[in-house]
Amino acid sequence: MTDCGCEKAKAELEEYLHRELSQQDFDDITEHLGHCDDCTREHLVGLTIIEKLQRSCQEQAPAQLRAAILAKLG
Amino acid sequence: MQTVVLEAPERTAQVDSSAMDDDDALANAFDEAQPEDASDGDRSGRRRRSSLSPAQLRAAFEEQALPFMDPLYAAALRMTRNPADAGDLVQETFVKAYAAFAQYEQGTNLKAWLYRILTNTFINTYRKNQRNPYQGTIDDLEDWQLGSAESVTQGRTTRSAEAEAIDHLPDSDVKEALQSIPEDFRLAVYLADVEGFSYQEIADIMKTPVGTVMSRLHRGRRLLRERLADYARDRGIAVTADTPRSTR
Repeated sequence: MTDCGCEKAKAELEEYLHRELSQQDFDDITEHLGHCDDCTREHLVGLTIIEKLQRSCQEQAPAQLRAAILAKLG
Repeated sequence: MQTVVLEAPERTAQVDSSAMDDDDALANAFDEAQPEDASDGDRSGRRRRSSLSPAQLRAAFEEQALPFMDPLYAAALRMTRNPADAGDLVQETFVKAYAAFAQYEQGTNLKAWLYRILTNTFINTYRKNQRNPYQGTIDDLEDWQLGSAESVTQGRTTRSAEAEAIDHLPDSDVKEALQSIPEDFRLAVYLADVEGFSYQEIADIMKTPVGTVMSRLHRGRRLLRERLADYARDRGIAVTADTPRSTR
């Protein structure tokens, strides 16, 4: 088994995060992350940003908006 | 179907001026929001909702489309950056979606379709009223023109400190940082990272090639990362161990 290396891993980490890689590439990066602390830390930054965004952007529609929309539907 | 025709929206001037665009947008949304497996022929085999009674249609819309109100409102806040416009935008989106709902294929990607209408409505109704000097050229600008640092290459300790620092930021900082990046980048990041849409779905929603989506995501996330590091630094959270930013 040959490691895909840091260069490929770093170039594709974003697509890895978004699950946009082929299975083969996904497995290669996963394997590389398994033994490369540097890329794992870089990956952690990406994951953290996603988690923070998801937690921060959870506004609920105001009750009066819901009511206004229901009224518009007739 | 005629019995469910909606009242004309109050903001007639705005809606009228973009009526053609909106019709086109809806027609395109039908075509392009279809999943791939439904694209090969046999339209007659698909189930439309046109056989439903108005009451059934309304019930189906309430059950299937209205649950997306909160995420659509959150997305609208990212677009308009204020609650009043976000509320108007979501309302207009649901009115249009309801008017077109009878023709919409069941079992297709309703969420992506609603986001498509939201995005079209935003662009046609709100964005054209804004004077954004970068509009239309944002993808062509160099990173330095957007105030981006040259690279995010950092040392080991630095980077793990970075994740921890970002993790400690309050939600308000994260939202402000997101608001501060250019609109097209912001929307791509939001759709991918918060809503979990695929690159292809984002391309359909934003009407751009997948390559452009990837570029917007990449640049948007990098800008966002820099802004988040700035916020952390402002709050006295160590991001770059001992090294000042300018020398990294």
